Amino acid sequence: MKTVLVVDDEEDIRESVKTILRINGYNVITANDGDECLEKINNETPDLILLDIMMPGRPVGDIVKQITDIKIVFMSVVRKSDAINKGLCEQKNVVDFLQKPFNLSDLIFKIENILNN
Amino acid sequence: MLTGLNEESHGIKKILFSKINRKLTLLFIIVALIAPILGIYYFYIIANSALPESIFTGRIGLFRDAAIFIIILIAIDAGIIGFIVSRSITKPIKKLYNATKEVEKGNYNVRVEIQTNDEIEELANAFNITTEALGKIEQERKEIDKTKTEFLSITSHELRTPMTPMKAQLQMLQEEYFGKLSKQQKESLSIIIRNADRLDKIILDFLDISRIEAARLKFEFQKTDIKKTLKDTVSFMKGFAKEKNIKLVLKASKLPVIELDPDRVSQVLRNLINNAIKFSEKNSKIEISAKKQKDHLLFSVKDYGPGMSFQDQIRVFEPFYQIDDSLRRKQGGTGLGLTICRGIVEAQNGKIWIDSKIGKGSTFYFTLPLKPVKKIKPIKVLFSQKDIMDKKIQDEFKTILGPIGIQEFKELKNKNALNKDDIINYIDTLVNNHIIDNKQGINFKNKITKIYGD
Repeated sequence: MKTVLVVDDEEDIRESVKTILRINGYNVITANDGDECLEKINNETPDLILLDIMMPGRPVGDIVKQITDIKIVFMSVVRKSDAINKGLCEQKNVVDFLQKPFNLSDLIFKIENILNN
Repeated sequence: MLTGLNEESHGIKKILFSKINRKLTLLFIIVALIAPILGIYYFYIIANSALPESIFTGRIGLFRDAAIFIIILIAIDAGIIGFIVSRSITKPIKKLYNATKEVEKGNYNVRVEIQTNDEIEELANAFNITTEALGKIEQERKEIDKTKTEFLSITSHELRTPMTPMKAQLQMLQEEYFGKLSKQQKESLSIIIRNADRLDKIILDFLDISRIEAARLKFEFQKTDIKKTLKDTVSFMKGFAKEKNIKLVLKASKLPVIELDPDRVSQVLRNLINNAIKFSEKNSKIEISAKKQKDHLLFSVKDYGPGMSFQDQIRVFEPFYQIDDSLRRKQGGTGLGLTICRGIVEAQNGKIWIDSKIGKGSTFYFTLPLKPVKKIKPIKVLFSQKDIMDKKIQDEFKTILGPIGIQEFKELKNKNALNKDDIINYIDTLVNNHIIDNKQGINFKNKITKIYGD
């Protein structure tokens, strides 16, 4: 079973994504900010990180730099073009962008695509 | 009410600076000459009566030459003094005049230094105080404007955050993640989801507007085959036209490959076609065309719907403006589509306008320069374009009344009387006072009625 780490400061979003992914057959762990995300990947190795861009604490740009070997999908209410402009999408392991609020089918399709390739 | 022709604005300078000089100089000369001319005249009378005839006639030539010499000398002296004195008055006035011109251009930092110890100095001080106050108001206005745009942007982001789990949970329910639903429950859910989507669309439109106003709308310029963009957009929109069985006809001749943002062009076209579908009867058609013209591309979307008045043509680009309020509820638009179209087009230095007649359908046009203007301009799309309508009315005033019409138009505007009823009343007074004849009056009224569109 593939593992997805969901990082978002909004509990409701975390829980919603967790439920969707679990029902679709993924193992899900969660973190509520960047630092907790780094802690979690020290203990476990998820196959994919779903990472919110705007969270309290350290800027996401700093967090991403410390993750080099796990695939990352950003999710945000800001647009993809803004994320690109902030230089967040340059790293090789950043593989996709999920626009919030997302459609269920979009979320599942993206993750299936990434984890099955 | 008719106040007569005013001189052109550049004439003001002439009036202020030459006329005062001329008048004062002339006045000085006249005043200076009164005494010597009177003196010479009395001298002449006295000499004439006191001197024997033979001596007087013999010296008259010399006497006349001396008199003329004195008068000319005094006239020159007085002229020079008059000119110097008048210059000392007009110079500070000119300074003030130049300063007001600066303020007109929007420079509120201009200050006038005048130390004449008189009313002009007081005027200059008053001017400085007023300008400073205006500067403060302008500064505040800019801050309010910035805050408004930021507020719009932040609010939109904040609104999207709760939308995310809401939509996720709703979709899970709809997909029966948590158990089977009855038909009624499904129906209820689809209504909730449809409206959540609509709400999200409004929030997205708000975001676009805040970006347009702050010149932060992103354009990704790339070499684009416009014909393909058009074809793709039209075939995408066919899905929306199906319900009313409306035919979408694309008319595009050879189009150049130019650098632009195809997504933005498509966004404008989608909005315009969507709008056209809204106002079209069932089984009608919408024509979409594009062609190259001089230095720009001209796009158009033509419908055969009810058409609209000139007033609507101007105001339709305002946020949430609805020609027919019942239509919005029926069709469920956000009311921001055309506002965003205007922003996207004008930000790239394009133009957008409507050609329409009641009962004859509407054609929306927009242009984009062949050479992309990459420096995106902030466009105040939230403000009304009422000034375009005012301009149109002013043109009619000018056509019927000549140059005096502009003056009249301004007076009406200052009186807050720029509305259909007041203008019609005004035209009646013109006819009653025989300033224009009956025929002209009817013609004038027709034109004004047409602009207001009913």
